[in-house]
Amino acid sequence: MYPDSVRTTRETPGSQTSLREANRARIVAAVQQHGSLTQVELSGITGLSPATISNIVKELTGTGVLSTAPSTRSGRRAQLVTLARSLGLVAGVDFGSRTMRVVLADASMRLLASEQMPLAPDHRADMGMQRASMLIQEMTDSVEAGVGELLAVGIGVPAPVDTARGVVSSAGLLRGWDGADVAANLSAQLGVPVSVDNDANLGALAEARYGAAVGYDPVVYVRASHGIGGGIVLGGRLLHGRAGSAGEIGHVTIDENGPICRCGNRGCLETFVGSPVLLGMLAASHGHLTLGDVVTRAQDGDAGCRRVLSDAGAHLGAAVANLCNLVDPEVVVVGGQLAAAGDIILAPLRSAVEQRTVPSAEGPPVVVPSEFGEWAEARGALAVALDRARSDGALGVSA
Amino acid sequence: MTAAITLAGVSKSFGAAQALVDVDLEVNTHEVLAVVGDNGAGKSTLAGLLSGVHTPDRGQVRIDGEPVHLTSPAAARREGIAAVFQELALCDNLDVVENLFLGHEAAAGIFLDEVSMERQAWELLDQLAARVPSVRVPVAALSGGQRRTIAIARALLGDPRVIVLDEPTTALGIRQTAQVLTLVERLRERGHAVVLISHSITDVQAVADRIAVLRLGHLIGEFDAETTTTEDLLGAITGAVAPRAGGRAS
Repeated sequence: MYPDSVRTTRETPGSQTSLREANRARIVAAVQQHGSLTQVELSGITGLSPATISNIVKELTGTGVLSTAPSTRSGRRAQLVTLARSLGLVAGVDFGSRTMRVVLADASMRLLASEQMPLAPDHRADMGMQRASMLIQEMTDSVEAGVGELLAVGIGVPAPVDTARGVVSSAGLLRGWDGADVAANLSAQLGVPVSVDNDANLGALAEARYGAAVGYDPVVYVRASHGIGGGIVLGGRLLHGRAGSAGEIGHVTIDENGPICRCGNRGCLETFVGSPVLLGMLAASHGHLTLGDVVTRAQDGDAGCRRVLSDAGAHLGAAVANLCNLVDPEVVVVGGQLAAAGDIILAPLRSAVEQRTVPSAEGPPVVVPSEFGEWAEARGALAVALDRARSDGALGVSA
Repeated sequence: MTAAITLAGVSKSFGAAQALVDVDLEVNTHEVLAVVGDNGAGKSTLAGLLSGVHTPDRGQVRIDGEPVHLTSPAAARREGIAAVFQELALCDNLDVVENLFLGHEAAAGIFLDEVSMERQAWELLDQLAARVPSVRVPVAALSGGQRRTIAIARALLGDPRVIVLDEPTTALGIRQTAQVLTLVERLRERGHAVVLISHSITDVQAVADRIAVLRLGHLIGEFDAETTTTEDLLGAITGAVAPRAGGRAS
């Protein structure tokens, strides 16, 4: 008999039909990744002629995949193209060290519901995943969506993830989650495909596609919260590396003789700017604080908290500069809870980056705060969920 | 950090049953103190003592170091202590604004000042990031979590320093639990002292700074929530493990 590859029903490559099918997929992919685009922008991004775009958009609007709305761009009338809302819903979950955030959106990336829930320190994976799936189900109910309207779910976890299998690939980084088979577990509970990635990677994707880094490439994203994470977007795609540890800036060595880190090495960036260290420095003078307290007090002018944050900014800057020398990004986006402190942390970070990067005629990379703040990772989770829905063929075109 | 309330050697019996025996506890501002324990450990009695429902048989309740006699919930409120109990004591047929201001309505001349009450209600709910569809719907139409939020908002009206929450997450769905726990974090950020009484270890560990464990009326120990494992807490609650020497924080 024929091997599998021959028996597929796909059109012969090179035929008119297959070309048209590929163009359709290309347009849907572009609209999905950018959220909304005018027809002129679509033509620029896909490289298809305006006439082809117009024809295919008309056809896909007719079949209920895309929807168009009148809009203006630079003073001219334009047709804004988005995915049709009726296509279905996607959910994104961001497991932080102490907080879980869940967002629900329709296929046009309009947010329908969001919820956050505090988590215990060192919470267990099974408990977290159960709570996440219950939250998703209640939120889907609350927008009066029926069973089966949920297309896919994206999950962010604060540890390196083997994205092909959806399994936490680190050992010892996130107690209670080592080796957790997140994708299989949650897709069994929810009955939809689940994509899993590192949280900072998702934040990077969200900022690169919809946020502060739109139009820049490469993009480096640094997430400074309880732990420190990082993500790199190259040519519009996330850099994962071999087993998902790419961009783990929190475990870059700052001081070879420094303290032992939770990862087992010495003097990692996290042993200088992780929240236990920052809060520990303030314990004697300020008592028990949370990271949020430190940021608020620093903004209110508390000298001790300002000092702790500006030192953290300088340490972060040193590590980010090393990353910049390797990747040479156009923009560095700083997210996470510490980014809320604004220039208290960003100013020392910028000057450390300027000092330590290779001088370039282009000047040092731009350092900006995250646009989505603490919700960047959850937004990124939505983005990978929608990617997953498209690649599974749920958006009306084959991938 | 300052102690808002101190319980010094407090005991309380109901007939032959000793509900609390010689309990020393400090409640600090800008902190969530969780009180956990098995059924009959004395959690609700402790909430009652703090909020003026019960008076101690022995020992002292001190506010800012001064001994006080909390003889009624109203007396406790005057001292800046508000409590939300499992039974929320809301009037189902009244709307959100009416419930919030019941008993201390704002007046404009001989009429009620509905406009300012409604504005204050929204301000308060916004500060708590509470989600209520409208402040003019009867409370009966709200979900369990929203009703609990209204009850907590009402407790906040006199700007108390200490808020006692007795089992705030029992009988709530997961989404409402998430909202109530987020609200507890918000109260702490606003600088209130929060006493969270619960038997859900997961919920307690998620938001508490300090965890006090009661067992059969005795205070077994105080634990730092950041560094204490679930196993240690369960051991202390059930009495399976004697608290470690270092278990008593601060």
